[in-house]
Amino acid sequence: MNNFNDKKNKALKVLSEPKDSKLITYLNSCVHCGLCAESCMYYLTTKDERYIPAKKVELVSSIYRRYCTFTGKHFPKLTNARELDEELTEEMTDLLFGACTLCGRCTKHCSIGIDIAYLVREGRKMLTEMEIIPASLQSTVNAALTTGNNMSIPTEEFTDTLSWLEDELKDEVNDPNASIPLNVPDVNVLYTLNPREPKFFPLSISAMVKIFYAAKESWSLSTKMYDVTNYAYFTSNNGEAATIAQRLYDEVRKLNAKRCVLAECGHGSRAFRWEGPNYLMRTYPFEVLTSVELLAEYISQGRLKLDKEKNKELITLHDPCNLVREGGVVDEQRYVLKHAASRFVEMTPCGTDNFCCGGGGGQLAMSEYNERRMKNAEIKAEQIRKTGASIVVTPCHNCVDQLMQIDNKFKLGVKVMTLSEVVADAIILE
Amino acid sequence: MFENKVPTKLFTNMEIDGKEFQVDGDGFLSDPYIWNEEVARLFAKYDGIEELTEKHWAIINFIRKNWEEKGMAPMIRSICQITGVKLKEIYQLFPLGPARGACRVAGLPKPDGCV
Repeated sequence: MNNFNDKKNKALKVLSEPKDSKLITYLNSCVHCGLCAESCMYYLTTKDERYIPAKKVELVSSIYRRYCTFTGKHFPKLTNARELDEELTEEMTDLLFGACTLCGRCTKHCSIGIDIAYLVREGRKMLTEMEIIPASLQSTVNAALTTGNNMSIPTEEFTDTLSWLEDELKDEVNDPNASIPLNVPDVNVLYTLNPREPKFFPLSISAMVKIFYAAKESWSLSTKMYDVTNYAYFTSNNGEAATIAQRLYDEVRKLNAKRCVLAECGHGSRAFRWEGPNYLMRTYPFEVLTSVELLAEYISQGRLKLDKEKNKELITLHDPCNLVREGGVVDEQRYVLKHAASRFVEMTPCGTDNFCCGGGGGQLAMSEYNERRMKNAEIKAEQIRKTGASIVVTPCHNCVDQLMQIDNKFKLGVKVMTLSEVVADAIILE
Repeated sequence: MFENKVPTKLFTNMEIDGKEFQVDGDGFLSDPYIWNEEVARLFAKYDGIEELTEKHWAIINFIRKNWEEKGMAPMIRSICQITGVKLKEIYQLFPLGPARGACRVAGLPKPDGCV
């Protein structure tokens, strides 16, 4: 029993010793208007009331009232305050880990502006304090912590892959001096990758190296720390998230790069660029930007010559939640597509109101909740089908994988591409 | 004594053509050692691959061998270089990609990461 109490006390500290006033303000603010229900893919596809975002908030706030307020401590039933017991932790695990993609659509629709996704993350943090974390999710964090990248790619395999891709680049641009620079100091851009690119999906690497070549960029990759992902963001383990963010920070500093450019990865961009300074408690002495913004910059500065007639198929765009709704990178990808593709159609809804692919919040990695994830996918499948597009572009590798599964399951017959792949196909080399 | 109810990989049964397999939530075989060529054929069929060609088998067998020898799925570079199949063709042969497609058909556990 002590074991549980120790863990419970750790979890309760998340609520009793908050870092700022935001958490407590939000926990006291829900007016139960119910507007969030229709925002949530889990609720929309099942009509199961347990999935309503406000109900997820209620799980956390009922514990707050029980342990941190006068009435909740003495008259718990009056305020629907709940004991943090095994039953409640199971419910929290099922709903906060297993039924939320942290897409933040409910946050946007909340009538009084509660950051609901943040509260879900704080609920996850309580579970993490109790060491209750879906095994498949933690194993990806562990891979990153112990091997330096979340797919445990050995350095030699990584460099062999890049040397293979370098040969492809020489052929592609017909220049024997074209190269993929590794560990070069004092460059303008230190680029990062999602490990799934070198491991299984290197077309996006080929695309970016061609773009760097065409833009005549001074750039490099690090073989020591190139992983843009940070799965500890999904488990809300801020200590582990800081360890991972610190590694990238140190590598940018060591190589003395002017800019750190984040690969097409929604949560990775968020974890390093927007959450990172909070994890590390410092501002960055270098610039951090996403490759989406870099592509837009190259085009606007005339550093890339593109022929959009090279991309003739009808293209639609999927907006990754962390990059778009949470990060505010909305117009850049549209600007890029306007210059790189001749036919483009928006999904409905799109931009900051877009639906998640269904694989966010760590869902793609959590086999435990696979069935729900693919049930949610109905919404995205229908959105894509209605556009009539034959290519879906998305600047996030996690979304790419989910969209490939959606294509297969719902027989959409679409091709899924990253933004850089579309741009690379349109490049005219001088 | 409190025991954490940590959600671990829950296994379910999946039926293909009247045969039952124990798999994880993503359809990866729970016991990679019961894998055989018939499993590969049925898993592929489940993904919409009606017939496994010589190229499919070259990829599957190499992935399998790499996993048995090194305990992990091979890099896509090795798959291309050993089997001689072109990169873009691999994605056509296995529409779900090398991980959820080829590795699953080869009976491997699901790899970590964004796959």
